Parts: sequence; structure tokens; C-alpha cells
Amino acid sequence: MGAMQVPSPNTTPPVLALEAITVKGRGRPRLDGVTLQIAAGERVALLGPSGAGKSTLLAVANGLLTPSGGQVLWDQQPRAHSARGRLRQQARIGTLWQDLRLIDELTVQQNLNAGCLARWGWPRAVLNLLLPIDSAACAEALQRMDLDPELLNQSVAALSGGQRQRVAMARMLRQEPTLLLADEPLANLDPRLAADLLELLLEQAGAPRALLLSLHRPDLLQGFDRAIGLRNGQIQFDQPVSEIGPEQIQRLYGAEATSP
Amino acid sequence: MRAAPPLLLLLPALVLVPVLIALPLLLHGGGWELLGQFLQGAISPSLDPLVLNSVITGLGVTLGMALLGWAVSLVLGFVLGLASSRVIWQSLSGTALPAELVRRILAIPRAIHELIWGLLLLQLVGQQPAVAVLAIAIPYGALVARVVSDLLDALPTRNLEALRAGGAPAGTALLTALGPPLLPGVISYGGYRLECALRSATLLGVFGLGGLGNELVLTLQSLQFHELWTGLWVLLAVMLGLESGIGALRRRWGMPARFGLGARSVGQQGRELVLTLLALVPLLLWVGNALEVDPRSLLQWQPLPPLAPQGWASALALPWPSMVLQTLVLTLLAAALAVGVAPLLLLLVAPWPWGRRLLQLIWAFGRLWPPPLTALLLLFVLKPGVVTAALALGFHNLGILGRLLLEGAEATGAATEDALHCSGSGPRLALLYGRFSGLARSYLAYGAYRADVILRETVVVGLVAGTGLGAQLRESLSSFAWDQLAALLAMYVVLTLVGEDLSDRARRRLLRPA
Repeated sequence: MGAMQVPSPNTTPPVLALEAITVKGRGRPRLDGVTLQIAAGERVALLGPSGAGKSTLLAVANGLLTPSGGQVLWDQQPRAHSARGRLRQQARIGTLWQDLRLIDELTVQQNLNAGCLARWGWPRAVLNLLLPIDSAACAEALQRMDLDPELLNQSVAALSGGQRQRVAMARMLRQEPTLLLADEPLANLDPRLAADLLELLLEQAGAPRALLLSLHRPDLLQGFDRAIGLRNGQIQFDQPVSEIGPEQIQRLYGAEATSP
Repeated sequence: MRAAPPLLLLLPALVLVPVLIALPLLLHGGGWELLGQFLQGAISPSLDPLVLNSVITGLGVTLGMALLGWAVSLVLGFVLGLASSRVIWQSLSGTALPAELVRRILAIPRAIHELIWGLLLLQLVGQQPAVAVLAIAIPYGALVARVVSDLLDALPTRNLEALRAGGAPAGTALLTALGPPLLPGVISYGGYRLECALRSATLLGVFGLGGLGNELVLTLQSLQFHELWTGLWVLLAVMLGLESGIGALRRRWGMPARFGLGARSVGQQGRELVLTLLALVPLLLWVGNALEVDPRSLLQWQPLPPLAPQGWASALALPWPSMVLQTLVLTLLAAALAVGVAPLLLLLVAPWPWGRRLLQLIWAFGRLWPPPLTALLLLFVLKPGVVTAALALGFHNLGILGRLLLEGAEATGAATEDALHCSGSGPRLALLYGRFSGLARSYLAYGAYRADVILRETVVVGLVAGTGLGAQLRESLSSFAWDQLAALLAMYVVLTLVGEDLSDRARRRLLRPA
């Protein structure tokens, strides 16, 4: 990955903006006044120890969780009021889930097409369950993930772990989102697979698309433009990767190292 | 072209096309006013103390019949289940042949619906409370026996072999190795049978065997809809209370959920369970006493009327092909309606949070409302026939299947549905792709089992809507034509056994891993 110029939030309109987001939890809040912006083309890593609120932040960012305070803007728009408007908004947010959430009973192609359900009406959605449709686009989506197009007719249940990761990513891209979110996608992967997957994910980001990815390992920060450190539901730092020093990382994970 | 699982789930709903086309032809013009009055009755049930009193008394009798019939069937079923278990015979005597024999014999009482048992016993020993109890206990006992022996024979035998290899005698080894793993399944199924027994007891009442069912049919026939609804609302409250009570106990004791649509871990709180079972004994004795059930009176049979002079010729002369065909068409229509409409309705109401609650209420009515009463209601506006009977039977089974589908949908697939929702799919498509995919096979497998139950139940609506073997059964019963009755019962047994075999095959195919 070559060094990227960090797009300034002042010049490029943000794809995602969180303003003073608070999410209540048992005892202390899970998110406590979090403010951040992600511009088109930016690749941002979210760092922090377990329980820092990374998953909560991503759930707010993909609209699954409504915060108890603050405002979320997607493409500079707040949450739409109409159900239709909300779905259109959701369609621009692609999420790579840690448990992938593929539909095991369907084929790879049907799963890939499930990413298009937001655009498709009932006729095509039903047709997808009967016949292989949009084969060319699906094959291309697989190839972009370095997967063999022969896999299209296989059941996803029959794939290996690494193949399933890539199919889930291909499905996310079929959705044509402007914001990519991923919650610890590299957990439970061996180092080689993790490096490959991260490279693929970073390749997908680029204007007008942005990437926000939560990460447990600070050693994988290369290739990101910016990193945000989260601890106890609050932002500790938010700066270009090149400016982050080892002592900042140490402070972020500090309590974890000293706790018994 | 091959339908993927979620679509497979909706295929049975295609039966709606011919049914909806046939429906306008079946209307006979009148009766809408009556139907309207019936629906209006729902919001203004009679609160007259006299009506309330007779409803409560009737409900007490129905509950008593259900409870006693259920208890007898459990004891009977458990003993017969052990007697038809291959692993038990194999361990005790070295051969599984007697188990096969008992199984075959038990298929006969199982194949005959409790209503037929009730009507037969009514003819034999006259009107008395023990008739309804026995009518429930006989087929239920045979059903429980099958489930007990199936569960037993499906248990892994390694523990048993280990104990036997260590020199333990067969009896104690069986009890130690197979008893504990058998119990959760049997108790969970037993709880479900109590819900069924309440429905059966209500149904038997409709045909004059006492209790609330009797009140329901009398108020319906005399068009006293306000009084009818008093009984219905009370019955609904009791049934929902019973279902949620049994569900709560099942969860508390960690028993498996019904038919594994949503698997849970198995554990148990032994002492509490045993105490509950012990507390049932005095309750049952008290109920038996209050209902004046006298088992001895069952032994006093009335003499059978003599056979008609022409012998078996009249039985053979019945229009068998058309009766059998009508029964089969009725079964398939009702099964497809029940299996297919449940997911369709869930999809329809998916966008609205109150939709599911509304469906739950309608389905609860479908479960408690005996199908012959639905048939009577439908006859206000429709002509009698196969489709009318299928609608009545389908509605009842829709109540059972719908509840199961909803329970299954709430237990699985939430994450996948969320994921689709987050990528902008509408609520209906997210439900179809996200939740129905995982449910399709086990739901359809249960539907296949249900079709087999529906075949047995055809007699219940056939009696009212004038179709199939059931219609002939009523005539033969009222004219005491024993030869015809025997032939009809034999035909029912054959059909049910063939149906059972077909549905078993369908189920195994659906559940086989791809």
C-alpha cells in the first residue's frame, strides 16, 4: 500500500458523521459523547481494548442501534423518516459482519444477489430463488475477491472459512455501498488469511467509498489513513496513522496489560 | 429450475389459486347477515350470569375430560411404548420381534380419530363421562407409545453396552442408561399432548359427549352468537393460559422445545418435576370423582343390532372410489392451505409490529375452535363440499402450524435478518431470505407430519360438511349398520397407515442433509 494523502474533512463531504453520540449501558455508558467524521475515500481503523465500545460504535454507524443522545449523519443526511427512505439509506452502508451472516441454505450466487435486495423488487427477489440470475455480475464480484467463478452454484455451507469471508465481502460490494463497515473481520483468522483479507478490504475503499474497520491488533495499521483510539466509550485519539506513536497505543491498551 | 428453501416454504400456498377461483361458485347467496351477526358477537359477548354459569360448568367438564384422558393416555402410552421398543426387547429377551408386533397392533388404535372412538363407545356403552375420557385415552395412548418407543430406540446405546459389559443386569442397566436421557423428551411431548387433549375434549363435546363443546354447538345452532362468544372468549383465555403455562414449565425444566424447530439445551430440575407429577395424582382422583367417572360402567355393553339380511353386500356397495378420492383431496387441500398460508401471512404482516400479535390471536382461535363448528359457520354462506370442509380443517391446522412457525422464526435467523435489513432489504424480503431459509426444511417436515394428522381429522369435518368417508360414517352410525362401519374403519386404518408411511418418507427426505 502506498502512502495516501489524508483527505481533509473540510474539503470532502463526510460519508459518515457522528456528533456527540451517547449510548447508555449498564452502569457506565457504552459510548460517551463520541464525535467523528469519515470522508469519502478515507480508510479508518478503530482501535481499543475489549469492551471499549468498538462494536457499539459500528452498530450505531450501520443504523442497527439508535443512540440515546447525539446525531448520526449519513451522506450529510439524518435518519430518514419514511421506511422507504431509511431502506435507501441502509443500502448505502455495507457491513462485513464478524459472523458473516451468510444464508447457509442458499448458493453462493443467491447469497451474492441478496446484496441487491434493496434495489430489486419482489419479482427479481423471487426469481433469484428459482434461477441463477445476474450471473455475469456475480462472477465478476467473485473474481474481484480472487475467487473462482465456478463456486457460484455451490452452497455456501460447503465453502471453507476463507472462501466464506470473501463471499460475504463480495455480497457487501454487490450492494454498491458508499460506506464500508467491518467489525473485527480479522479475528479468528490465521495471519496469512488476515493479511490477504485486509489488503482486499483496503483495496475496495477509495472515493466515493470510505472504510471504517475495528481492529484488535495495532500492528496491522499499515495501509490505513487514520486511526481512532476508543477506550471506555470515549475517543482517546483520532489522527493520521503516521503520527501515532507506540506510547499512545500503550496508553490505549494500558489497563488491559496491568489488570490481573 | 429448482426452488430454493425459502421459496419451497411458499409453494404450498399455490393451492390458494384454485381455492379462490372455486370460492365464488360455492357461494349460495344468503347467510352474510348471519355471519355479520356472528362477528359482531365477538365484541359484545353475553355477560348474563346464567350464561356465564353454564359456560363455566361446561368448561369444568371439558377440562376434566381432557385432564383424565390425557393422564390415562400417558400411563398407557408409556407402558405400551416400553413394550414396543426394540432396544428393550433386544436387551431383555435377545430379539426385537415382539416390539415389531406390538408396533403393528398399536397402529390400529392410532389410526382411528378420537371422535370415531367416542361415537363408537357412545353406541356401545351409552352416554357417560367415561366415554370421552376413554375416547381420548385410546388414540393418544397409542400415539404416546409410538413417540416413547421412537425416542428410546433413537438414543445412543453406548452407555447401555458399557453397563452390560460391566455385568449389570438388563433391567437396571436399561433404567440407568436410558431413563435419564429419555425423560426430557417424553415430558416435553406429554405437555404438548395436554394442549391437544383440551382441543379434543372440546371437539368431543361438539358431538354430544358433554362439556363446553356442547354449549358452543347449541348456541351456534340456535344463533345465540352473544352467548357463543362468551364460551369462546373463556375457552381462549384458558387455552392460552395452559399453553403459556406448559411453555414456562418446559423452559424452567430445560426441556427441549417442540419438534426441535428451535433447539435448546436439555437439563432438568428433578425434584420439582417429581413433586409436580405427584401433585397430579390427588387432582386426578378429585376430577374423576367430580365428573362421576365410573370405569365399571364401561363393561356393560349394549347388544349390537343384528346384521342386515343381505350380509356384507351393502357395505361393499358403498361408493368407495369417490369417498376415498374426496377424503384424499380434502386432506391435500387442507394440508396445503395450513402449511402454505402461515408463512404467507407472516410475510404479509412483517412491516407492522402489531401484525404478529394479531396473527397470534387469529391462530389461537383457529386452534381452539373445533373444525366442525367452522364448517357450520362457513355453511351460512357456502355450499357443502370438499372445499368448504378443507377451509374449516385448514383453518384449524393453520392455527397449530402458524404458532409453530412463529416460534421457530423467533428462535432462529435473527442475525441474518438484521444483516439483510442493514443492507437495505425491506422487512418482508429480509424475513423471507433471512429467517425462512433456515426454517424451511424443518417446517415442511413438520407439515408432512401434520398432513398425516389431517388425514385422520378429515372425519371430523366430513361428518358436518357432507364429504368423504366421514359423511358415510355418520349415516352408518345412525342406522347401526355395523358391517358398513367396520368396512369404513378398515378403510380409515389403511389410508392412515399408507399416509403415515408416505409422510415419514417425505420427512426423512426433507431432513436429510444436502
